[in-house]
Amino acid sequence: MSEAPQHPAAGEPVPDFPTRIRTGLYAGFRTAWKIISVSVPLYVAVALLKGTPVLELLGGVFAPVMRLFGLPGEAAFAFVAAFLLNLYAAIAVIVPLHLTPFQVTQCGLMMGIAHNLVVEGGVLSTTGARGWVLTVCRLVIACAAGLLLRGVWYLWGEAVSGPLAFLGFS
Amino acid sequence: MDALVPALVGACKLSAKLILVIVPLVTAFEVLRHLPVFRRAGNVVEPVMKGVGLTRDAAIPLFTGIFLGIAYGAGIIIRVAQQKRLPDRELFLMGLFLATCHSVIEDILIFMVIGGSGPAILGLRLGLAVLLTGLMARVWKAA
Repeated sequence: MSEAPQHPAAGEPVPDFPTRIRTGLYAGFRTAWKIISVSVPLYVAVALLKGTPVLELLGGVFAPVMRLFGLPGEAAFAFVAAFLLNLYAAIAVIVPLHLTPFQVTQCGLMMGIAHNLVVEGGVLSTTGARGWVLTVCRLVIACAAGLLLRGVWYLWGEAVSGPLAFLGFS
Repeated sequence: MDALVPALVGACKLSAKLILVIVPLVTAFEVLRHLPVFRRAGNVVEPVMKGVGLTRDAAIPLFTGIFLGIAYGAGIIIRVAQQKRLPDRELFLMGLFLATCHSVIEDILIFMVIGGSGPAILGLRLGLAVLLTGLMARVWKAA
């Protein structure tokens, strides 16, 4: 547990190769255990939640908000899957929705920022950072990024379609 | 009860995956971190890191997180935080950067597969991460 004080600036003593491997394996297993002990209970809790109507209810609540990001209401279920589970679960919901390339990009952007929040929030806490603050940040940033992309997309559409229409293309 | 079995199977798979990635990663880090190449790479990234309020100590965990994701990156983050005693401020800034921009390769590829635009997603996430972390670094001054 206790580590010898190190002075990176002065150059720490370099241990020999076997010692480094041993330190690495030991530290690796300890870190893995630390992360597992936090993430596995959370994972089980979320997996059990999947069997309840909670996900459906949440999706219904978020559906009207989807419009803000240029997405259909059904996409809310994909977001609930991404937030609580992971991107693969979200993709399984997205594919049958037949979204436009812009909408898929929008989902990829927002879900890339905010996904697997429960388990990763736990993991972030084990690093010593404030896990829940960062999780709230992820949600807020995901929304901001979504609005930004929609704005950029809209302006881009105007900028391109305007001159084209003017020139007689449509 | 029916839901419990798949949940536990999934939990075992998750644990196995974490061990399989984190143990070799931390071992490789321990073996390699004394090489002079690491020190030189640190010199190269230092000015970039400074822009977002981080020091070179945070470079390895940051890049691990950007490419591999939070769960696997955390293995290195915890390790470095122990060794170098990263201050709260730096842990938070790094967390903020990674919250916005992590696991970029896997995340973006799976959305490109179903028709999304990879460059748009990557550009926006990276841009936002740099912007937000840079701003936050100026709000929360180093002690």
